[in-house]
Amino acid sequence: MTTESTTRPPRRRWGHGKLKRRFAAATALGAALVLTGGIAYAFSETTGTVNEAQAQPDTALVAKGEQLYNAACITCHGSNLQGVQDRGPSLIGVGDAAVYFQVSSGRMPLARQEAQAMRKPPLPQFDPETEEGRANLDALGAFIQANGGGPETPMQTGAALRGDDPARGGQLFRLNCASCHNFTGVGGALSSGKYAPALAEPTEEQIYTAMLSGPQNMPKFGDRQLTPDEKQDIIAYIKSVTNGNNQVGGNELGGLGPTTEGVVIFIVGLTSIIGFAMWLGAKN
Amino acid sequence: MSATDTPGRPTQEELDAMTPEELARLAGTLDDVEVVHNAPRWPVKGTRAEKRAERSVATWFILSALAALGFIVAFIAWPHEYVAPGEPGYTLFSYYTPVVGFLFGFSVLALGIGVIAYVRKFFPEEVSVQQRHDGRSDEVDRKTILAQLASAGKSTDIARRKLITRSAGAAAGIFGIGLGIAALGPLVRNPWKGGDDAALWHTPWRPENGETVYLRRDTGILEEISRVRPEDMEPGSMETVFPFRESDRGNEEALLHALRASDAPVMLIRLRPDTPTVKRQGQEDFHYGDFYAFSKVCSHLGCPTSLYQAQDNRILCPCHQSQFLATEFARPVFGPATRALPQLPITVDSEGYFVARSDFIEAVGPAFWERRP
Repeated sequence: MTTESTTRPPRRRWGHGKLKRRFAAATALGAALVLTGGIAYAFSETTGTVNEAQAQPDTALVAKGEQLYNAACITCHGSNLQGVQDRGPSLIGVGDAAVYFQVSSGRMPLARQEAQAMRKPPLPQFDPETEEGRANLDALGAFIQANGGGPETPMQTGAALRGDDPARGGQLFRLNCASCHNFTGVGGALSSGKYAPALAEPTEEQIYTAMLSGPQNMPKFGDRQLTPDEKQDIIAYIKSVTNGNNQVGGNELGGLGPTTEGVVIFIVGLTSIIGFAMWLGAKN
Repeated sequence: MSATDTPGRPTQEELDAMTPEELARLAGTLDDVEVVHNAPRWPVKGTRAEKRAERSVATWFILSALAALGFIVAFIAWPHEYVAPGEPGYTLFSYYTPVVGFLFGFSVLALGIGVIAYVRKFFPEEVSVQQRHDGRSDEVDRKTILAQLASAGKSTDIARRKLITRSAGAAAGIFGIGLGIAALGPLVRNPWKGGDDAALWHTPWRPENGETVYLRRDTGILEEISRVRPEDMEPGSMETVFPFRESDRGNEEALLHALRASDAPVMLIRLRPDTPTVKRQGQEDFHYGDFYAFSKVCSHLGCPTSLYQAQDNRILCPCHQSQFLATEFARPVFGPATRALPQLPITVDSEGYFVARSDFIEAVGPAFWERRP
């Protein structure tokens, strides 16, 4: 897990104003047309169909992302991100936050169709621990973002995403997250084989993008519902109670509440009391 | 000790002549205890082994004293205030509870082990047999004790003093009733007080004096009033909202009550666009666009049903696994719940804030006798 507080290499953001967007779109269209000429051969299948009108400045990045998409995602999500019946949903409008969460946590590409995607080691080319992996995630995200927009990954990474008020984060966590993820983030069951995963493994960035994009059965928590500050406080709380950070009383025994604690005190405690009583009554 | 002339009972002169050891043995004999075997643990005084045994017992007591001292020091001086992980001093803080608990527990344990070790190492080895007395007391004891009690009662004249017995009985009886009221009184409540206005029928969402009730979120800061607007929520999202009135602003108690009242939490759910829905008869206009507001209190036993699955739009109750379908007026589709979650009628006011159009039209939470299904 990365803990250094780095700022991501500055990626160009596009403005939100209508005028700005139109201008950007026009520029992008021009740029795209020029570029398409050069690489038309390689991408003649798809470039004509994706929606360049919404494209963004960094066409090379998008093109690289499209290449990655065509190699790893196209089977289930379709050549136009429209989704494939019984395989994968449409990716239009999911944003690069969803891409980052699903791909960097190894959930995508999916191993098999089941109740929900499981966390597993990411594909080597999308491993967020490596330079190449981060670059590829950026490119893939840019490609998805260029087609329909959607929630974006945060600018900061690592420990910079932890807020400074874990106590308030804890309150917000118990109100918004604890019903499914348990109050110490060990996760829990949902219906029909679905579940809320434990929160020890995901990085700060993955937790943040999960809140933004609402993966699988998780509801979305947009920035107007939980402000970025509140999200960061929640991350600070999660990081302060997971990974052995909440064991001020010794071993937390799974953090599941009184059941495990009762079993342990019944077996260990009772055994030692019986042993002590036998020592008391033993003859020398 | 049935009779005074039991054989073996010594006379005054014999008693006076006895040594303390003989007296102690006599105590056993009188209780029908016979010492079969009694050998001192250390027949030869002052051996090395004896000294070693003494030291080992003392070691436990000294350890106990040291642990107790350590407990006092740790309890007073060890840093116990919360330090977030990663900040300086976290490791030390995280050991506070184990250190205090271990020293306290070890002190008690070592004291106990010391006492037991002393008993086992220095008390003489002894095997004694005591005769067991079966059956009831003998006839003389039983007759005399009854006669004695009867005669005592007669001599106090209580049977004739009707005034005293009755007044004493009244005093004790009334005091007893008072005790009973004090014990049971708090258990007796009337939840139907006020008829249709009873607390069971309405929730903090009920508009009072025609004042608008807004939907607010809990940001973790009580005074930070954040009213919910439709654009705040993404499609496929859920937010827990609470009632807010302008007159509550600045009133800490009222604000806290709105956030903490057990029947106040409402799940505001924004479905994805074009999700097919079924409205409940008579509640067709309770929603606002894709926004639906359902009570968070389970209709089975009142747990918070806030496990909203955004993909299949089911709302789960974690206690008994009831499932409600958000797209069909939160009707139960699985589990023990039999009633749909009550729906709060909402709309948006002229400023763009969500407001409650009225209270719930039915009682929230589990069923009760007077509730019509």
